Amino acid sequence: MSLAFDEYGRPFIILREQERKSRVKGIEAVKASIMAAKSVARTLRSSLGPKGMDKMLQSPDGDVTITNDGATILEMMDVENQIGKLMVELSKSQDHEIGDGTTGVVVLAGALLEHAESLLDMGMHPLRIAEGYEMACKVATENLDNIKTRFEFSKEDIEPLVKTCMTTLSSKVVGRLKRQMAEICVKAVLAVADLERRDVNLDLIKVEGKVGGKMEDTRLVEGIVIDKEFSHPQMPKELRDVKVAILTCPFEPPKPKTKHKVDIDTVEKFEALRDAERSYFTDMVQRCKDSGAQLVVCQWGFDDEANHLLMHENLPAVRWVGGVEIELLAMATGARIVPRFQELTVDKLGHAGSVKEVGFGTTKDKMLVVEGCPNLKAVTIFVRGGNRMVLDEIKRSLHDAICVARNLVRDNAIVYGGGAAEISCALAVEEAADKVTGVEHYAMRAFSDALQAVPLALAENSGLPPIESLTAVKKRQLEESNPYLGIDCNDTGTNDMREQNVFETVIGKKQQLFLATQVCKMILKIDDVIKPSEFD
Amino acid sequence: MDKLIHDTKGVTISNDGATIMKLLDIVHPAAKSLVDVSLAQDAEVGDGTTSVVILAGEFLKEAKPFIEEGVHPRSLIKSFRQAAVLAVQRLKDQAISLEDKALEEKKDLLKKCAMTTLNSKLVSGEKEFFAQMVVDAVSKLDPATLDLKMIGIKKVQGGGLRDSFLVDGVAFKKTFSYAGFEQQPKSFVSPKILVLNIELELKAEKENAEIRLDDPAKYQSIVDAEWNIIYDKLAKCVASGANIVLSRLAIGDLATQYFADRNIFCAGRVESGDLERVTKATGAKVQTTVNNLDPAVLGTCASFEERQVGAERYNLFMGCPQARTATLVLRGGSEQFIDEADRSLHDAIMIVRRALKHAQVVAGGGAIEMELSKYLAEYSLQFSNKSQLFIKAYAKALEVIPRQLCNNAGFDATDVLNQLRQKHALADGSGKNFGVDVNTGGVCDTYKSFVWEPALVKINAIQAATEAACLILSVDETVRNPKSEVPDAASGAAAQAAMTGAGGRGRGRGAMRGRGMRR
Repeated sequence: MSLAFDEYGRPFIILREQERKSRVKGIEAVKASIMAAKSVARTLRSSLGPKGMDKMLQSPDGDVTITNDGATILEMMDVENQIGKLMVELSKSQDHEIGDGTTGVVVLAGALLEHAESLLDMGMHPLRIAEGYEMACKVATENLDNIKTRFEFSKEDIEPLVKTCMTTLSSKVVGRLKRQMAEICVKAVLAVADLERRDVNLDLIKVEGKVGGKMEDTRLVEGIVIDKEFSHPQMPKELRDVKVAILTCPFEPPKPKTKHKVDIDTVEKFEALRDAERSYFTDMVQRCKDSGAQLVVCQWGFDDEANHLLMHENLPAVRWVGGVEIELLAMATGARIVPRFQELTVDKLGHAGSVKEVGFGTTKDKMLVVEGCPNLKAVTIFVRGGNRMVLDEIKRSLHDAICVARNLVRDNAIVYGGGAAEISCALAVEEAADKVTGVEHYAMRAFSDALQAVPLALAENSGLPPIESLTAVKKRQLEESNPYLGIDCNDTGTNDMREQNVFETVIGKKQQLFLATQVCKMILKIDDVIKPSEFD
Repeated sequence: MDKLIHDTKGVTISNDGATIMKLLDIVHPAAKSLVDVSLAQDAEVGDGTTSVVILAGEFLKEAKPFIEEGVHPRSLIKSFRQAAVLAVQRLKDQAISLEDKALEEKKDLLKKCAMTTLNSKLVSGEKEFFAQMVVDAVSKLDPATLDLKMIGIKKVQGGGLRDSFLVDGVAFKKTFSYAGFEQQPKSFVSPKILVLNIELELKAEKENAEIRLDDPAKYQSIVDAEWNIIYDKLAKCVASGANIVLSRLAIGDLATQYFADRNIFCAGRVESGDLERVTKATGAKVQTTVNNLDPAVLGTCASFEERQVGAERYNLFMGCPQARTATLVLRGGSEQFIDEADRSLHDAIMIVRRALKHAQVVAGGGAIEMELSKYLAEYSLQFSNKSQLFIKAYAKALEVIPRQLCNNAGFDATDVLNQLRQKHALADGSGKNFGVDVNTGGVCDTYKSFVWEPALVKINAIQAATEAACLILSVDETVRNPKSEVPDAASGAAAQAAMTGAGGRGRGRGAMRGRGMRR
């Protein structure tokens, strides 16, 4: 900490409690930050690509998560270091914006910083390095625009979408069933997509899971799955062609919100009150019946008396359905949500093809599956898996794939995966670097080298000789000026990613480049770190 | 370069002078007055907060040898004050007015000013993009007041900087919604907007009232009465012809569903700042009752949309007719990144605002400081007493700005400074706009390369820095209350209060001068 002394040697105290704060300055600070960021990136490196490995993470309260999703790993790792936290946020924001490529972005940022370190050793000013990176990033993204291809798809022809999703899923635990899963995701996204505005509201896709069964049993429900059962065990288990009433009021006598008190002073009055209450129940059930509803879904509960009456009147009902589910159900069936019984009319009812109560294996768990809805604006992906960890991982994988499909709906441009796009960008940056004089030249070269870290890691993780494979592909790309050549991770015998059908979205790739460059600049710009010592 | 400061409240990464000074938690009374200077600069002009501290420090550094040699501080102070007056006068002469330019041209010039500010910031890579955005946003404002509150800045994590966008109207995050919300329409063309400040919920109308019933048959009538009240309110909202209903207070599930049935969009618990901007933008008037809704109180805009931004959904009101407001939606990789971008844009907005009001600029990149330095050095020769020496020292101190610029950009400062001195000494005055060229490491005419700063920023910085330096020079004794040195003082406030009490000489004056400065 900076200290000043007066002529008698007494120190001036400038900052509050300065002796308890630690401070790192200048190039030391930059190096320390790079070190922290690199170690975070190194953790993720082995999880990249189709042959990437998973991490097992145990939370403080003993929950175990197994995943190879970058954002999830970093979130669970509970990074303490501030620079490390920046990397976590980096991956998180890739997750928010794109949903996929969360590992790649961290690996890239790590590589960029690693190369920056050697430039710092050469005596370059950190800001100049950052500026060079920014120039290189611009070149790289322009190159992406040059090599991208557009995929035409429609609601009928979903093949291109499916293939892109398959690329995402191939690195996940569901790799075995990627075709099936990809189709599920694409269908789900297209069902809720607004193709004209190119907008997809992901809230309308619900991913529901249940432990047990096989992964193969995962399916897309064109409707809603509700984790509830019919209110009375004797109600029919399956309904076809039902009219649904959706209520947000409980089956009980209505209560005024204002404080109130009923004075009962005679037996007659008491009887009248009892009668009134009873008539409320019969009246409510009767109204439902009159409206023509065949199934009542209620946000609140109802007591046994009402339940009995409903059963008696042969009116199946579901109680305690959450607000979100109510909303989705209303969207899907086309029902309007009714706040009180007086307003229940025929035109407020929704329609569903079938409502089924499904049980699972030997457990007593039951779920309601509502299918065949007229207005397919809400869908559910119902996931099955051997244990909870697998189930969670499948859900995360599907989330990634859904995001990819959504991105394609927004912008249907793609580039080729397997490191092909990175190599092509690296070549473009290298070429551009030769035209630049000054310190930025070195920075751009470093950027190009860092870009190659991704295919390098891919090859390494797939058990290929990293340097040989990378240089071979690079040479061929240069000779044939063919940006579709990438690392052959699956050992299929061809390096042409078009044949292997390995695609990635352009917005995802661009985002990776932008974010990684931004974070690098931020880290390189810090030359002074002041923190309380106890955080060391 | 930036500083990373880690304190109990979290982590900040910034190179904004005022922000850093605020977070450093400085306790030394003299050092504290520098913090005050920086904060005052921030409040007054919003930019140049770092330069003001550097200048003040340099003035003191130049003064120190004289003090050690036994010069009375008062004579130093007198000369410094004189020098500041001269410098400001000279600066005003040098300033170039933009007043007479056409609006379009002016905008272009403002953009240049904003770009100069953004140069040193984290977002410098996209400075052109952001400068345009800032100028567009500020020019949307009411020219009479230029109220800063009317520019909303919303931060959404994720995405690149380039994904930031300007809404010529209002944008805010989707509020908490009840079941039924998704069934409402999410986009309108020229909608009618009703802005309320009442709850649309089924609730007890009177908090402390109690109803006593003696006839159970009347029970229903009370329930009905309550429902009728809310339905009556809702019906009036609908009858007004509004397509969008916004409220500062809650809009309950009942109302949400009611509106959904009638193809009306609603949002409850909208933050008051956002709501105020909506009213300014759309011309709607906030209603505290739904009775007598006149069509005149409804606002309108060209289009309304709910859109996905990153992981959030945003409500956007665009193309507002009397748009006196604008919203910047910032995107960026991490929280700290967006926070810093926010601070940078704040500086740029302040600059543009200032430049709009006082459309006078000077050449940046240390050019004006060099020019002032040269002028003062020449001027000092007119004195035959001690002042000559002191004003020269003041002139030398001004050179710290170009010197620091060089150092921070990784260039040889002595070399560049000598080049600059030579240029500024040219007799024909052709070199007066030469400043540091941070791109190549040489010198260039910064006025021609459009590195501009509003004159006001510089004037304020010079005045404030001089005042601060003089203030510290005028102190000849510090009496410190021992309480303030106890490391774990019960609370920061107590320690501070103690210090103002005892060492009050320095600080009390500081506050007074601070006010005087803002004339």
